[in-house]
Amino acid sequence: MAVGQISKSLFQRQFLTVLGGAAVAAATFSVPAQAADSRNFVVGWFTHATDSKDGDCPGGVNPDITIQYMKNLALLGYTPAQIEAMAKKELDGGDEIAEAMRLRGRVDGKPIEPFTYPETAIDPKLVSGIGKTGYGFDLDGKDGPNGYEDPLTHQKGVDNEMFRALGCMRTFRGSLQGRPTYWAWAWGQLLDSQPAWLVNVTGEDLTKDGEVTVTFDRALTHLRVNADGNPREDSTYRADPDPRSHNVYKGVLKNGEITIKDAGQFRMLQNPLVAPELNLSRAQLRLTLKKDGTLSAFVGGYQPWRDVYLSFAGPGPAYEACVTGDIPGIYYLLKRHADGDPDPKTGQNATISTTYYMEAVRAFVVPAALQIKPAGN
Amino acid sequence: MSLSRTLSVFLGCTALMACAPAAKQTATAPAVAKAPAQTAAFTPGEMVMRRLSGEQYQNIVADVFGPSIELGGRFEPDLRVGGLLAVGAGTVSITAVGMEQFDAMARNIATQVVSDKNRALMIPCKPADVKAADDACVGIFMTRVGELLYRRPLTEAELKSYIGVAHLAADATKDFYAGLSTSLAAMLSSPKFLFRQELVTANTDGTYSLDAYSKASQLSFFLWNSIPDLPLLAAARKGELGTRAGVAKQVDRMMASPRLEHGVRAFFTDNFGFDEFNGLTKDAVLFPKFSAQAANDAQEQTLRTIVDLLLKNRGDYRDIFTTKKTFLTQELGAIYQVPVVDESPNGAPDAWLPFEFAKDDPRGGILTQMSFTSLHSPPGRGSPTLRGKALREVLLCQKVPAPPAAVKFDIVQDTNNPVYKTARDRLNAHASNPVCAGCHKIIDPLGLALENFDGAGAFRTTEQGVKIDTSGALDGVKFTGAAELGKAVHDNPATTACLVNRLTSYAVGREVKDTAWLEALKTSFAATGYRLPDLMHAIATSDAFFTVAAPKTQTASAQ
Repeated sequence: MAVGQISKSLFQRQFLTVLGGAAVAAATFSVPAQAADSRNFVVGWFTHATDSKDGDCPGGVNPDITIQYMKNLALLGYTPAQIEAMAKKELDGGDEIAEAMRLRGRVDGKPIEPFTYPETAIDPKLVSGIGKTGYGFDLDGKDGPNGYEDPLTHQKGVDNEMFRALGCMRTFRGSLQGRPTYWAWAWGQLLDSQPAWLVNVTGEDLTKDGEVTVTFDRALTHLRVNADGNPREDSTYRADPDPRSHNVYKGVLKNGEITIKDAGQFRMLQNPLVAPELNLSRAQLRLTLKKDGTLSAFVGGYQPWRDVYLSFAGPGPAYEACVTGDIPGIYYLLKRHADGDPDPKTGQNATISTTYYMEAVRAFVVPAALQIKPAGN
Repeated sequence: MSLSRTLSVFLGCTALMACAPAAKQTATAPAVAKAPAQTAAFTPGEMVMRRLSGEQYQNIVADVFGPSIELGGRFEPDLRVGGLLAVGAGTVSITAVGMEQFDAMARNIATQVVSDKNRALMIPCKPADVKAADDACVGIFMTRVGELLYRRPLTEAELKSYIGVAHLAADATKDFYAGLSTSLAAMLSSPKFLFRQELVTANTDGTYSLDAYSKASQLSFFLWNSIPDLPLLAAARKGELGTRAGVAKQVDRMMASPRLEHGVRAFFTDNFGFDEFNGLTKDAVLFPKFSAQAANDAQEQTLRTIVDLLLKNRGDYRDIFTTKKTFLTQELGAIYQVPVVDESPNGAPDAWLPFEFAKDDPRGGILTQMSFTSLHSPPGRGSPTLRGKALREVLLCQKVPAPPAAVKFDIVQDTNNPVYKTARDRLNAHASNPVCAGCHKIIDPLGLALENFDGAGAFRTTEQGVKIDTSGALDGVKFTGAAELGKAVHDNPATTACLVNRLTSYAVGREVKDTAWLEALKTSFAATGYRLPDLMHAIATSDAFFTVAAPKTQTASAQ
């Protein structure tokens, strides 16, 4: 018997032993009555799906923040001599540039912080990606000029304008193998501060093709990790009953890959660090049940781009200098590349197409309602 | 510190506070069969002087001064003799470095005891002048503390000496409490505190019996792994421990105390060699779930399993090898690949939850617990040889010879060997060397039965894609895997005999070779259905428990 099978059978069998009368509810929660095969996972890595390649940014990637600040100073009207003088002072411990950048917004000519109201800052016109390949889905059914080709499925017309918008920002560049700096950093914060995300896949026989049900929930507790920071397999999580993070989809399993089209809404409470809520409309999903017992998933859809922006802007200038790069610049990038849900009056799109990538490991999942008391200290 | 110790301290106050320790029988305390004290002929063993173990030192400080006192030092390594640190304690001394640590701890403890925060609670008198010596107050304090730390009343000379030290120090520092602290630190550094000295009285048959206070210590360290409480000291003072009835009365009282769990835990911790966990490491790439927390939890799992089965439920000792009932944390649940539903909030320590493996589950009994499978495995793999050896030596008390010199282990250690894919294959190849074959023949089959558990204790069915064969035999009894191995150990007469031997040696601090006493204990153990509390009671009420042979002439002259 393979480990995965043991895990499954232990789950079903031991659950009865541990929870006694509550076992029926447990089975109903995680293993629908008709289903013979059900697997639970906990998400152990979450990132924007990026596929950065050499040459996919016109004229190269956007400059490092220190160089970008020089450019921003020029946009504000500082002369080259002034900028040079400020830079020299900066080297001696001065903070004139930092202060000028912190207050580079202008309202009635007066300097203000631009992070909450980014349009008070001048658009630095950061460059965006021009690559041909990108992960995701054809969300609008059209293969327009901005459509990518997915490097795995080779589907054309893939809509992932968030990748295009941020694809030339240094810390957002990366691939599935080479994790983007921003997302690696963000995940390091999230895993210790955000309740874990849970995935359940249920079908008649997950080793064969057929219809499946995929459920996303949020746990009540954080991800449990090994000493090296990787997610720990076979840990137990209680699912949060909050319906805001309960997503159930019907999908089709074929050759180990689950496809979910027309998923509608994908909604998970997240964390203000990334977004208070990951809210995707017209979502599509593609999940892979891997032979090693893990799962990977792409979740795409249209996301309110202002939510994305505010998650970057919230921490302010220190964050800009250390993590993201030019924050008002990102605002203009996202706004320019937003491609969904146009405002009927202004025509400005309110959402941006995007796709996120997750990796998940085996887990035990029970409903929060099933509570048993500790045996004492 | 365990909850029960904390409770015993708080409910009963510390011994220093002169409150009677809680002796009320709890609902979970074991009812002990009143077997008569063992009076068969026996051959007394040699007198021993045992160094306190680190845990005993901690327990004593907590019992006398309360759980809030921090030690602030490290203990010397203990020495295992005859399978037990408790026996090794009778053969070790204290090195210069060790004494330095004891001295540092003594000063640290004494400082805390006399501190502004604690003095009102712990010192039963106030000096007439805090800037001057007060011999009377020092005398009151040292008399009370001395009886607890020395496990007997101080002699007049000893008391006078400690009062003198306090006086001199107070004069020098113009601080009564500094003086008292110096004197207490001296007492805590004394060999009379750090070593359990057996004081004896001569019998008419040429043997020697422990005196009343040494009997009290013998009982309390065996049953509670700490010093006698005030009622036990009072019984010693009144001469009640001079009769079998008096001893039995105290043993009954002590076994009804929740503190019995400390004694049981201490014995199994020692017997199972859990001190080896301190140096246990695992390859983080091969065994990513293994952690320091998991190692701690593994020991606690086994101890909880034993305490629950043997004390709280008065179960058959042999069932520890087959029981499906245990306790798990989230940490262990991930390794055992079973759900452990813990309501603790984020950041809180994992809760312990009762768990029962299904009847057909491959796990059951302590041999399949991580505390056995991971402890007896090297960092990068499991080891049928180490596991089999441990089973023979620890649980069956059978000596396995050390491997001959210059033996090559390269095949055994090559877990990626393309020809010998499983541990059984590799050991067969290794044991083709006739020099190795003899020992491997008796230890490998036992360890191979546990090959479904990897080096960190996680379950597996294959190695390098090949199905693992876990069949074998123990002393002619065939088994097909870990569960049946557990049953074979359960049914093996050496199993219970070994426990009797080890527990008796643990109790007296020397390897017991008195077959008459051991046989009598084995008989009574079997008669009571292999109930551990009954065995402990039988040992604690044996005449042999309190009797030693005449000191050797050389030893006597050396003293």
